[in-house]
Amino acid sequence: MSRRARLIFFAVAAAGLAVTLGAGLAGLPSFGSQITAYARMLNELAPRQRHITDVVSAISFDYRGIDTLFEEFILLAAVAGISVLLRPLSDEIRKLPDDKAPDRAIPPPSPAVWLLAVFLSSLLVLTGLETVTHGQLTPGGGFQGGVILASALYVVYLGTNYVTVERFQPVPLLEASDGVGASGYILIGLLGLLAGTDFLSNVVGLGVTGNLISGGTISLLNLVVGVEVAGSFAILASEFLDQTAVIRTRQR
Amino acid sequence: MDLAVSASAVVPASVAVPLAGAALMAGFSRLLPRRARDLVAIAVALATTTLTLILMAASAGRPMIYWFSGWRPSAGMVIGVDYAVGPLGAGMASLAGLLVCAALVYCWRYFDSARGRHHTLVLIFLAGSVDFCLTGDLFNLFVAFELVAVTAFALTGYNAGYPGPLQGAINFAVTNSLGGMSVLMGIGFLYARTGSLNLAQIGQALAGRHADGLVVVAFALLAGGFLVKAAVVPFHFWLPDAYGSAPTPVCVLFAGVMSELGLFAVIRVWDTVFSGLAGGVGPRMRAVLLGFGILTAVVGAVMALAQHHLKRMLAFVTMSHLGIYLIGAGLLTPLGLAGASLLVIGDGLAKSALFLGVGVLQHQRASVSETKLRGRGRGLAVTGVTIAAGALVLADLPPFVSSDGHALLVYAADQAGLPWMEIVIALSVIASSGAVLRAAARIWLGWGDNESSDADTGTADDPGEEAEGRSDTAGTEVQTQDDKGERSGRQRRVPLTMVLPPLALLAIGLGLGLTSGMEEHAAAAAAAFSDRAAYAAAVLGTHSGSVATGGGIVIPAAPAASAGGVLTDLGQVLASLCVAGIALDRRARRLRRALAAGTGWLRGLHSGLVGDQVTWLAAGLALLAALGEWALH
Amino acid sequence: MSVLAYGVVAWLFLIGIYGVVTSRNLIHLVVCLSVAQSATDILLLEIGYRKGGHAPVFVSLPAHPGPAVDAVMQALALTDVVVGAAVTALLLALVVQVHKRAGTLDPDALRATRD
Repeated sequence: MSRRARLIFFAVAAAGLAVTLGAGLAGLPSFGSQITAYARMLNELAPRQRHITDVVSAISFDYRGIDTLFEEFILLAAVAGISVLLRPLSDEIRKLPDDKAPDRAIPPPSPAVWLLAVFLSSLLVLTGLETVTHGQLTPGGGFQGGVILASALYVVYLGTNYVTVERFQPVPLLEASDGVGASGYILIGLLGLLAGTDFLSNVVGLGVTGNLISGGTISLLNLVVGVEVAGSFAILASEFLDQTAVIRTRQR
Repeated sequence: MDLAVSASAVVPASVAVPLAGAALMAGFSRLLPRRARDLVAIAVALATTTLTLILMAASAGRPMIYWFSGWRPSAGMVIGVDYAVGPLGAGMASLAGLLVCAALVYCWRYFDSARGRHHTLVLIFLAGSVDFCLTGDLFNLFVAFELVAVTAFALTGYNAGYPGPLQGAINFAVTNSLGGMSVLMGIGFLYARTGSLNLAQIGQALAGRHADGLVVVAFALLAGGFLVKAAVVPFHFWLPDAYGSAPTPVCVLFAGVMSELGLFAVIRVWDTVFSGLAGGVGPRMRAVLLGFGILTAVVGAVMALAQHHLKRMLAFVTMSHLGIYLIGAGLLTPLGLAGASLLVIGDGLAKSALFLGVGVLQHQRASVSETKLRGRGRGLAVTGVTIAAGALVLADLPPFVSSDGHALLVYAADQAGLPWMEIVIALSVIASSGAVLRAAARIWLGWGDNESSDADTGTADDPGEEAEGRSDTAGTEVQTQDDKGERSGRQRRVPLTMVLPPLALLAIGLGLGLTSGMEEHAAAAAAAFSDRAAYAAAVLGTHSGSVATGGGIVIPAAPAASAGGVLTDLGQVLASLCVAGIALDRRARRLRRALAAGTGWLRGLHSGLVGDQVTWLAAGLALLAALGEWALH
Repeated sequence: MSVLAYGVVAWLFLIGIYGVVTSRNLIHLVVCLSVAQSATDILLLEIGYRKGGHAPVFVSLPAHPGPAVDAVMQALALTDVVVGAAVTALLLALVVQVHKRAGTLDPDALRATRD
């Protein structure tokens, strides 16, 4: 289709789609007027049943824990896919970045920048750990905390250079943490089977509400997901970074 | 005490095993030598297939309901997520497992690259497919949909050194993401109305009510999103782009499993959620579904004939057959669904064999263009037989299981008062199989003109890129002499791991066809799948009579049906051979030119541009909503 | 209020799709896809909203806290965000390779898979 034809066709289609969405949205209960009985029930029961204060985490990791298992694997699959898509092909080589000036190596990072990076990444690591471990108490959890942890590693690159990052976060280690996080979730799920109940049942002691260690498997699952997500996002960054900084076409 | 609740550990194991395998491959594949990785992946796939087969057998009498995290429904309200395992779903999952095994064996030699990175992705694809087939929760269905999609996007773009696979992957990813968003909006609407995410409970809440705007739109969004995956017209434009450029073993997974999953979801959601609506199952909805099915079957067949790129041709053949499955399921009777299921199995095996055969051509002759390969099939006799046999099986050659499915489907159409459907199906099948047979004759027998086809697609990914080595990983492991020989020595013998899997798949199709009682099993499975009230009773734990299934379904007596059926099937086979002959005959050149000119507009629509495809998607959703409004009132 | 709240959902979805259809740059296209994605997240969260409600976190609450909003929809939205991030990342990886191999970022200039 020519662009003009496509635009006209799309205008008609979009009008139809707008009417469709409008008809659907019009059937919804008035905004803010009610929530479902299911949600009300969970809000009431979850803190008591699971000894947690963040109901969203309880839903993610307990009531609907199997969904989160697959969600974790979506991330794993995406990162594995990116490793496949951005791998150096046979007409490319990996070459460490050079300085534009031919007669010297890349100068080391400035001490001020380096200091800032150290400070910032330490802060991010602490925040990330706090978010991961407090998932059952306050908003947060494995996914959110894992991303923050991964960003701590990005800051290391910003403050230093590629070589340091390579040494500091070798890809095999990141892949291993990915694998450990993902299989850890399944192992915790198997605990339920071993204890004679269902997969992903909460068979660990539930602890006292409000404590750091509470919620039983919810806090454990938060931890493994945090490990997996941190590894995944770090691999993701390193793959994209490799593409820009390191992978060059083979000169013949 | 709920009899239907199953404590069997096999149910969660069927997803935990492939997921665990994938996680270990993702994390630790560097530690294993290459052959060990292949073996581990194949072992995991075999284990998963065995588990799903066990589930298929165990759930034959009544559905197995498994509640995760121990949350059973309380006071009629579902709290957790369940798997509702039935023979149809478990059968589909087993087919997925079988095809994954075949593809992984095939990959042994096909991906010559040093670090076979596809294991993780393929195993996750399998786990997602199993979850998709077994789940009883609507949001879990969406998550599985996205999981399968993500792995598929990455696998499509595997040959990242060529623009063709990359463009195919982008088109695939953009359209299917929008499909996923559409599904999620539908889920939101249904949750707002019914307060649940469980298929059975939503169905109960909607049962007996009249469909208002929100319910109709929810149906359109859900069905539309899943139909994108299934590649039904007009949501199908991404399919030839993706299938035409994905690595061949991956195409096996797509053609045999992924497209069918989209259709499975539509029927699943319809049967468990919408079929109880007042005015739900009626001639109008039937007409809508049949309309889409017929359109898809015909467009696929016509486009297949116009193709000279073998993988694109097979993509359109896949699409055409999917239209036929939609016709079967769209009859909205258990027999139609049963016929469609048997066709899914039989055709899935045959299509996979075809793709694997084309892969051998690509590996050995570095091309997938029918015209460029003219006469160059000499020396690959087994592959030629495989491809010809696959095409004939797709044309419903008895006694393969697809012919049983075809007979059942035709019978169901007859029962529904649509005897002319048989002609539509026959024409599509004859055309699509004829196209493949034409290609086989041209390649192996050297028939046909040496004309440069006006339909030569000019796709940049045409030569066997996998064998060329351009997409292979820059050498991170020392290549053995064997590997080098495989890549450069195209005159070498085709490796057994590439020859045996397609033959094995065809043999399984033959074996299933010779097994008696397939039709009864399929009919019983389909009846269980379609019975909304019994399903809801089983899941929600309320007892409304027996949860036994299949009673009262009349199945055609095997001898009576098969006499006429066998003749029709053989007629179809002969007709497709004739089509192939006409397509190659010098004297029919004017006819071919006229047909090509007449269908040029259709080919022009398949521009490969993502903007066009998304426009069609938006139009399709709006159309589906309008038709749903007409059908559900 | 309902019209505005729900209208935003339809608007974002349509404008996102419009962006995809008329895009001249693949990176712009991927971002437009994210915009359409955000429409679905907003729909879920709006379905779960309760006027005067607080977050479903039962810690440090005031004396008369009122109802909590729907936590299930929030969990679903979280899942959707992760899915969206994964797909966006994959698409961007594809875009990086397309730029290298096809030399262009214009989706309408990609002609490798036409009929």
